[in-house]
Amino acid sequence: MAAVNPLLASLDIKPTDRVISIKENGNIDSNFVITHLIKQILLENGKLCFVILHNTLGHYHNVGKRLGYDFLKQVDEGGIRTIEPLKDIVEEIGNGTHYLIDDKEQIVKALFTSIKNSIEELAATAPNRVYLIIDDISHLLDLGIDLKYIISFINYCLSLVNDDRVSVVINTHVCSKSDEIICNNLNYVSDVVIEVLPLKTGLSREVTGVMSIEKSGNAQVTQFHFKAYDKGIKTFHLGESVYNLYK
Amino acid sequence: MEKPSKGNLKVPGTIINSQNAQLLTSSGIHSLDSILGGGLPVGTVSIIEEDIYGSHAKIMLDYFLAEGIVSKHSTLVASFDTNPYDIIKNLPAVITNDPEECPIRSETSSEKMKIAFRYQNLPTAEKESYSIGHNFDLSKSMSLEDIENSDICYWNGQRKETGNSMFANPAYNELLKAVKEKIKEGKFFLKDNPPNRTILRIGIHSLGSPMWLPHKNSFHLMNESRDLDMFIFCLRALVRSAFAVAVITIPTHLYHENSLDRCIHSSDIAMRLQTFSGTELENNFSLSDYHGFFHLTKLAAINSFASKHPGSVEYVFKLRRKKFHIEKLHLPPDVQEVHEKNATPSMGCGSSTKHLLEF
Repeated sequence: MAAVNPLLASLDIKPTDRVISIKENGNIDSNFVITHLIKQILLENGKLCFVILHNTLGHYHNVGKRLGYDFLKQVDEGGIRTIEPLKDIVEEIGNGTHYLIDDKEQIVKALFTSIKNSIEELAATAPNRVYLIIDDISHLLDLGIDLKYIISFINYCLSLVNDDRVSVVINTHVCSKSDEIICNNLNYVSDVVIEVLPLKTGLSREVTGVMSIEKSGNAQVTQFHFKAYDKGIKTFHLGESVYNLYK
Repeated sequence: MEKPSKGNLKVPGTIINSQNAQLLTSSGIHSLDSILGGGLPVGTVSIIEEDIYGSHAKIMLDYFLAEGIVSKHSTLVASFDTNPYDIIKNLPAVITNDPEECPIRSETSSEKMKIAFRYQNLPTAEKESYSIGHNFDLSKSMSLEDIENSDICYWNGQRKETGNSMFANPAYNELLKAVKEKIKEGKFFLKDNPPNRTILRIGIHSLGSPMWLPHKNSFHLMNESRDLDMFIFCLRALVRSAFAVAVITIPTHLYHENSLDRCIHSSDIAMRLQTFSGTELENNFSLSDYHGFFHLTKLAAINSFASKHPGSVEYVFKLRRKKFHIEKLHLPPDVQEVHEKNATPSMGCGSSTKHLLEF
């Protein structure tokens, strides 16, 4: 690990951080945090169970290539297990089964069962750490699932942390009242909260948005500005964007 | 959408963006394509939030559909409010040149205006070479022959099955089913391998309008736009797994503020039109050349970190007789005379106009 990715350096996620939540506000994209975390997981030779609700595998593969890892190869080799409700939904349109049923409790139950099985299987293969990433849990709301079921789904997912080798990363998007409830509940139990915000004043050429990192037990919130490029993300301390861009 | 792994993939009316391995197709409006960074990515859902009268959003949808027919793409049109046959019948006709540009060019050549040499070769307007997309003439409608020769699927909500559906209004479910059937039938799924690959264009007009309200006796609670959220999310799942691109217009002004945020999150591109007519902006001198603002609310970063969102630029649209155009807002130079009304010189702090309270 000669060259540490600057974003990962600023995130500074340690193995002791067991529950990580990513909060995405407004129309900003926090996807880069997840793709960078995958890089770190792969560097550590960790195993990953990935629940994809927002983007496609192809997206992660393409972005992964820019960060220097081969996502699909990892999937083939068994290092990454993916659960793609999006694909199942396509199959079920018209049939009204599984994800598209009226019994919403059943949906989250089934989803959790498949997560649990994957995690257990991954943990059984090697003594490495196992990560669970859920990209955008707030999409469960779009499926019409009640808030109480989503909260208990999160509780179940967090119970996986009881195994010392498991860490959980959950991404939420906040735009409605229910989203906020999910997010606040999640933040309450998280070891690390990464919040990605747009600039309050609107759009800027030099800065894409603000990323703030809050660690439990440490009242201090670290804030960074970041700029997204085609090939990567640059982070800098507040107000230092000019020096970084025109060096 | 996933990268089409074969390099020899050729679909008429599309180009591959080599930077992020994204298949792009034209929205039918050149100026919109360049704002979106080349065109609409195949496999995405775009939302157009309608202006109060809905007419301009409809024109954008017309362009999108017309472009599909000219490029020999398959089309699915859905609307509850207007008959989808009428939408197709009144699509603009394709023409070879830009309708607005030709007359201007001939004028300038005859006058032979002289400008400083260093500016001579600079383009007068932002022009880009287009490799996809056609020009259309709004004043003529497309020939019936073209329409009959293309593969168009109409959906007007007539077929209604009473079945168990998770939507409060079963029409949403029906439309999803129709889209899926069309994708299946035309072999548009990524895993399919038809001999001649084309793409499916899905145009949905006025989704979520009052016509889409749930039935009276439905036991679902009608809360905000729950049906709409679910529909867009499922449509996103469908379109991502196929060679398809969807454009939806939604009359947002009928909803609560912010109640559409979840839809926008599930979509890839979100645009909003705001007309000047009927508002106080109508009389604004500097905006008199235009018909309204064009807001690009969201442009998702697909296969890449950075979105192609142009940043803090204001866009405006104007509708001429033959052409719909979106451009950057440039304020005119501030050299106009002051209005006669206020021209009378005023003394100190006393106002020249008689105020009711002054005696």
